[in-house]
Amino acid sequence: MTEALLDVEKLNTWFYTRKGIVKSVRDVSFDLRRGEVLGIVGESGSGKSVTGMSIMGQIDEPGRIVSGSIKLAGEELTTLSFTQMRHYRGKRIAMVFQNPLMTLNPVMRIRDQMFEAIGEHENVARKEIHRRCVDALSAVGIPSPEERLNAYPHELSGGMRQRVVIATALLLGPDMIIADEPTTALDVTIQAQIIYQIRRQIDQRGLGMIWISHDLSTLSELADRIMVMYAGATMEIGTTEEIIGLARHPYTRRLLESVPSRNKPGEKLQQIPGNMPSLLSLGQGCPFASRCERATAICNETVAPTQLSDTHRIWCNHPFED
Amino acid sequence: MQQTILEVQDLSRSFRSGRDPLRRLADWLSGIEPPVVRAVENVTLSISPGETLGVVGESGCGKSTLARMIAGILPISSGRMRFRGEPYESLLSRKRDALKIQMVFQDPLSSLNPRLKVRDIIGEAAVVHGIVPRSKIRDYVADLLARVGLPPEAAGRYPHQFSGGQRQRVGIARALAVNPEILICDEAVAALDVSVQAQVINLFMDIKRDRGLTMVFISHDLGVIRHLCDRVAVMYLGRVVELAKTEDLFAAPTHPYTRMLLEGMPRISLKRREFLPIQGEIPSPLAPPSGCHFHPRCPIATQQCRQVRPELREMAPGHVHRCLNAVAS
Amino acid sequence: MDEFGRHFAESRVAVASLLVSLAFLLCAIFAPVIAPTNPYDLSQLQLADALKPVDSPKVVPGEELRVRVTVANGTATFEDLPEGSVIKAITAEACGEKCLDAGVEPADVDLESLQIRGLPPGLSVEGASKHPVQPWWTVAAPADGKARIVAEGAFPSDVSFLAIVKSAPHETGFVFRLGTDSFGRDMLSAILYGIRISVIVGLVAAGTAMVLGIGLGLLAAWMGGTVDAIIMRAVDFMLGFPALLVGLAVLAILGNGIDKVVFAIIIVQWSYYARTTRSVAMAELGKEYVEAAKTLRLSPVRIMLRHVLPNCLPQVIVLFTLNIASAISLESSLSFLGVGLPLTQPSLGMLIANGYEFIFSQKYWISLYPGIVLLAMIVAVNLLGDRLRDLNNPRLAR
Repeated sequence: MTEALLDVEKLNTWFYTRKGIVKSVRDVSFDLRRGEVLGIVGESGSGKSVTGMSIMGQIDEPGRIVSGSIKLAGEELTTLSFTQMRHYRGKRIAMVFQNPLMTLNPVMRIRDQMFEAIGEHENVARKEIHRRCVDALSAVGIPSPEERLNAYPHELSGGMRQRVVIATALLLGPDMIIADEPTTALDVTIQAQIIYQIRRQIDQRGLGMIWISHDLSTLSELADRIMVMYAGATMEIGTTEEIIGLARHPYTRRLLESVPSRNKPGEKLQQIPGNMPSLLSLGQGCPFASRCERATAICNETVAPTQLSDTHRIWCNHPFED
Repeated sequence: MQQTILEVQDLSRSFRSGRDPLRRLADWLSGIEPPVVRAVENVTLSISPGETLGVVGESGCGKSTLARMIAGILPISSGRMRFRGEPYESLLSRKRDALKIQMVFQDPLSSLNPRLKVRDIIGEAAVVHGIVPRSKIRDYVADLLARVGLPPEAAGRYPHQFSGGQRQRVGIARALAVNPEILICDEAVAALDVSVQAQVINLFMDIKRDRGLTMVFISHDLGVIRHLCDRVAVMYLGRVVELAKTEDLFAAPTHPYTRMLLEGMPRISLKRREFLPIQGEIPSPLAPPSGCHFHPRCPIATQQCRQVRPELREMAPGHVHRCLNAVAS
Repeated sequence: MDEFGRHFAESRVAVASLLVSLAFLLCAIFAPVIAPTNPYDLSQLQLADALKPVDSPKVVPGEELRVRVTVANGTATFEDLPEGSVIKAITAEACGEKCLDAGVEPADVDLESLQIRGLPPGLSVEGASKHPVQPWWTVAAPADGKARIVAEGAFPSDVSFLAIVKSAPHETGFVFRLGTDSFGRDMLSAILYGIRISVIVGLVAAGTAMVLGIGLGLLAAWMGGTVDAIIMRAVDFMLGFPALLVGLAVLAILGNGIDKVVFAIIIVQWSYYARTTRSVAMAELGKEYVEAAKTLRLSPVRIMLRHVLPNCLPQVIVLFTLNIASAISLESSLSFLGVGLPLTQPSLGMLIANGYEFIFSQKYWISLYPGIVLLAMIVAVNLLGDRLRDLNNPRLAR
């Protein structure tokens, strides 16, 4: 087994709000190898985005990483200062958000934005920068990249903008990319194109990638491994085959069953009763217990992980057996 | 001939860009014809009572504009609509009858007025139009809330105190409050999490069954459309390119765009698909390609497709498409 | 709302400005109660009080009484004295065969002089200076307020004469805490009444402009097209001129007076509200809840007033607060320039203007204190508005 590129151990990220402590991420552990796409799936409030932001060192007041370690190629990130972390951001870990306009400056040409990204971290000749920008843009499937470099963000379609953001992320040759719902706002056909191109880049460059999404179907097509999160905690982690085909956790099962395409048309969908519990009032037990039909009294007290295979790990007291 | 509840014929909506009077004056003086944007072009549909029609397409295809024209809140440029045989203009002039067509919106946050309590959001129109006397509104709203699966206390709260799924339920209750016959859902489950989406889809199915509602369900999500709809219309850049029964469409799509859409549809599967996605961007609706709008991205396009606008052709009974070269798959 | 209050209270400056603004509002409401004098009552003004510095007492000037006194058989009768006079009665008392003491009651009134006129021949006043020609005797600062009339021979049984009593000016307990202006007005009272006028003008003008501007803004947003274009070009036109210039022009035509000043401020300010309301309403009109209201076939008026307007109000209220401050300063500027309020009803600006001519003769208080008050009021209201705007700005929200 090769050494992990990213190793997250018992990560806890809490937000100290007026109403109390919001435990957005609780005891989350996972690793990521080179050339691998790890999908993190969960509904809103599951803590999947906060996990990504924690790795990027972008947790702002009133939140902070309470405990746990994040190691990138053996180097601890949680103890880095703000300036040290800024060097890591972009250079070694890049992030892609759902809305490309969050990353792109509306009044700057694509060229200047990409040049600036390189200029921040490296000292190379303009001609070389230009070549690398063109390469990066064509790598993500942007036709006539030379022309696009002169465009402003608003002159591009949503799909093109997101590609530019991904190209910028690739520009500095990072070790890994964290993508938070990067294709959610895009149309199906465009989404398929981008996923196809991203997978190719990951395979070619041997990057690590964390792909955060609420959509299991996208992840099933893209990810090598999937981590299922619910209310700040990991429910199940395993290879895509294990999660999609051999899910043992009641929540994962329920999630899969509630997707329309997995149900017979016209029939009622399997639905999970109730709502996600408030992150303010979580006990020690399984957060899903209140909505789980298999839950017993012990589930409210404690939940221990079970290792089902080398890759498949599950946090449940009463998993499905088959 | 099957009875129809809603008939849409050659419906179009176009507008000239630059509505500023000064700009118009300048254009007129310099003799420039401002470009005409066709958001919806010659859409013809008929919906039978109790049916659910799905309208699917990507952004800019005009599906939301179509929804709003059917709901009577966007003016139409040309074409005709009839509700139970009666022209729309006369229907809309009678306010009580115009309520027969209601709509559920996409955004659970912005579709509810943040400054009104749920009781007013749901009950206002019913009181204003005299459907329910003001004295009975509490019970009326409580009934509706129960119908959409919300507790009666919800009536006294404001929209921001609810989760996305609950807000969408409030939106549904608001539409139901005026006893509609047609419910138009514009991406009504798109903004919801998977498990919540399942709850809301089930709610739609229950309501449809209980009230015998006719529904027009607009979505970009083929999975949702397939699950809910009897028939599906596929739209691309303002035109309906294919219209068929749901089973037929998913089993045997004829239009190349529909095929591409179905291929691109993400599905939960363990097989890594080895497909090359259809290249190219969706063209801007401001400057659609000539002839068949799809020809720049179409794998089977010919020279003819660039020039000739394809008309709707019937492949099989009830299965129409707009393609010059399509063959049954 | 609780949350809003908490966020607001996070800034001490904001809380202070709110308290100061409220204090000014209370001053305005209760000015007639708390002001020591009524500066609008011209009859109370006396020139003797003019330009008194800070903390000087009010002085009542001496009065002059002319009373015809008739003494018959040792008893004096006299004409009725004016009411409110310090001198309550004139006395005449025989002090011997040949003499009569004429005096005033109460005896301890400080008299400047007592003059006796028209005594019959043979009578004179002891220790008095006689007019060179006329039979007028004047006693300066008479002791015990008495003049002694003596006769050369026997004192006639019946005597009548004219007594002219001049009392000396005296200080009262009343103190001009902030001095007086050139008309002898108590500055403290004038400032309190000035605050009242400023606040009334600010609230009424900004409020009316708000209602007008909101109406036009909503109309423009709903109608769009030509109506929108006309209203917005009018707004651009109004915003193109400096507020003071427009105010001057309006008042030059209409003349001065509080109603005209209010009118001028409305003319200046409605355009701000119209512009803000329109832009916010346009954004709101694009939201789905408005489409829902249209689908529910609610009337346009209902949609605009019940659905759209409440969602525009936060921004408009911020503007309202800021515009109160600018209305107050505009009114003061106009009054300072002399086209605002009439001289008899001074606002803060006019008080400053009145004091301006004396400021180089070291009579600083006339301009200084109204100036400080005006400054404090405008700064407080502006800070309040700024804070409200910050709280309203989603970009600054955490």
